[in-house]
Parts: sequence; structure tokens; C-alpha cells
Amino acid sequence: MMDILEVLTSRKSIRRYKPDAVPDEMLDKILEAARWAPTGENYQPWRFIVIRDPETKKKIGALAKQGSGSRMTAWQCLGEMQKRFEEIKDPVKRAEVLRFMYSGEVSEFAKNAPVVIAVIGSLMEGSVDVPYDLSAACENILLEAHSLGLGACWVHGPVASSRDARRFKRILKIPEGMGEYKVIAYIAIGWPAEARKHPRPKKALEDIVYWEEFGRKERP
Amino acid sequence: MDTVKYLNDTIVRLEELLYHELSGCASWKVEFVGIDFIQSKNIQGKTLDEIVTKCIKEIKAEGLVKDISYLVGGKGVLLKLNIKNCIHLPKEARLKKNGVAPYICPITNMIIDQIIEKLKYETSYVAKLDIREDAGECTVFAAVYETPEKIGEVSDWTQYE
Repeated sequence: MMDILEVLTSRKSIRRYKPDAVPDEMLDKILEAARWAPTGENYQPWRFIVIRDPETKKKIGALAKQGSGSRMTAWQCLGEMQKRFEEIKDPVKRAEVLRFMYSGEVSEFAKNAPVVIAVIGSLMEGSVDVPYDLSAACENILLEAHSLGLGACWVHGPVASSRDARRFKRILKIPEGMGEYKVIAYIAIGWPAEARKHPRPKKALEDIVYWEEFGRKERP
Repeated sequence: MDTVKYLNDTIVRLEELLYHELSGCASWKVEFVGIDFIQSKNIQGKTLDEIVTKCIKEIKAEGLVKDISYLVGGKGVLLKLNIKNCIHLPKEARLKKNGVAPYICPITNMIIDQIIEKLKYETSYVAKLDIREDAGECTVFAAVYETPEKIGEVSDWTQYE
């Protein structure tokens, strides 16, 4: 039996995909994994919209590009992006990375993913934990996809602003009332066409774990 | 009853709460806060200057601010607003004092809403609020994108600071 920690620590966000389709049986397993996420009082507020239509994915990709690009262009103009990427010493490489970011292209990849799953939650069923339940479902989707050899990426940016969330709902015909459904993210899935540098730096446990009370680093 | 103080105190609590729940992306979600007032006015115009000027006129007439000056720069992407004696300034000051950087500017939201609604601009982003409560002023740096192609048109906004 594979240790779940191996799945967790080998997972990466994959944004480039081969054009090959994701088989239905794999997709079903991914959705099944999402269904088994923890959920407060077993409300299961989640709904999953599986998107394979190229035109719809193109619209979502464009919205994602616009969302990220609109923010990052402003950050670049204020000098904030340059500070964020100052560890890239090669000026040509840094300029390439920055342009990729502030153009919004960094978030456009949904259009090339064989499958996109929109994760939304009903706000009408009494659940008091909708965002947390949906986040747990997103994590399950990522882990199951990875365990099947697929690549995936959880994307919140294009639904982060109120206007963009409304546009996202219109693309997928989700009811728009603020008391109806929350859109938390979409997840793009496909066969990986990239091998990202891994592992990415993680903070050491001693920097993030306290014992018995906030700030206490010594293990009793 | 000081209804303005009551309103500001109420917004402070909500603004703190939303930041606590969502961290930095709280600021991305509040773009509709304040727009009902300006949508109740019949703002008409065919250019950015016309829309912004007419919004400012309505906002000043209602006593929400003493004055607003603005400039458009950065290849037409930057809309910089200087807002004087806004009724929400005590809210911003209290938030700063409480350790939360203010991020909801209803006045800016009003103006951007009309730019998007009346001129059909593609999108926007409020990038920076500089609050100077002692001077009774705020400066706002907002990005307004007329078309999708304007996204990625970068320039140096620090020259406008």
C-alpha cells in the first residue's frame, strides 16, 4: 500500500497538458474522491461542473488570464512584481517571467486542459462550512488526479473578484444570486506535459510548528 | 445620532472580518461596495473624463467628499484619484490603527463602476490606497482596462507617486 505521504509530497501544480483525453473511468474516480472529502455535519454542499467543451474552456481560460493579468499589470507598474521575482538574477529570464505573469498568460492554461472541473457550493442547504468543504474537495481532486498519474492545478484567481465570479457563473449558467451558489475555484486536469522542478522549497517544520501554545518551538 | 460615524464603525467591523476570513484577496471581492449610490444617478458620458467628472460632481454634491482630483496616465491604464475629506476617512484611520490596511474605497468603486457600465471597459483593479488621515486625504491607484489588450501594458507608476 502506498503511503499517502508519498502522494502528498510528490504532487505538483501542473499547468501544461498533453492533448490526450482523460478517460472517463479516471474522471469518475476523481469525482468520487471529491465526494468523500470531509464536510461539516455531512452537508455536502458541493456541486461539480465537468467541462470538456473547447469553447467553454477557452472562455474560462480567457477570464483567468484577465483576472491575473489585471492585478499583476498593476503590481508590475507599482514595482511590486519586480521585488517578488528579484531572486531571478538573469535579467532576460526575469523579464520573460514577469511578462508571462503580468500578461495573465500564467493563468490561461484552462483552455488547453482536457478537463476542467468547476467546484461550486450550495449556500441554500444550511451548511455553515461551505468554503472549507469545497476546499477539502479541491484537495481530494488534486490528490486523486496525481495518484492516477495525471496533472492538475487548483485555480482561484479568475473567480476571486466579484465581477469575474459573476462572469464565471454566466459562462456556466450558474445561478447568480449571492445567496445561491459560491464558486470557489476550478481545477484543470490532464496528462502532464511538463516536469516541474521539485520539490519546491518548503518551510522547515521547526519554523511552522509550535508546541502547546503559540510561539513555543521546543518540543516538550 | 451621528449616522456617518455609525456607518463607518459598521464598515470597519465588516472590513476587518472579511480580511480576517480571506486575507489579501478580500480586497478583490469588494468592488460593488458603494456602487448603489452612483447607480441611482443618471451618469452619462462618452469619454473617461466625462464619466469621471460627472461622478465626482454627484459625489461632491451629496457631501461624500470635499473634493476629488484625478489623472489618467500609464498608457491610459492608471486612474489616480486624490480624495479630500471623504466621509469614510475615519473608517480608514481606525482600520490602520487596528492593524488592517484599508482596502474598501466606496468612492473609487463608484467611479470605476460607471467607467465599466457606461464606457464598457473590460475590467479594473484597485491596486493601492494611500491614506493620510492627518492631511485629510487619500490617494488611490487603480488600473482601468478599456480592452483585454490593455492588460499587460506596463509602465512606471511610481513617477505619479
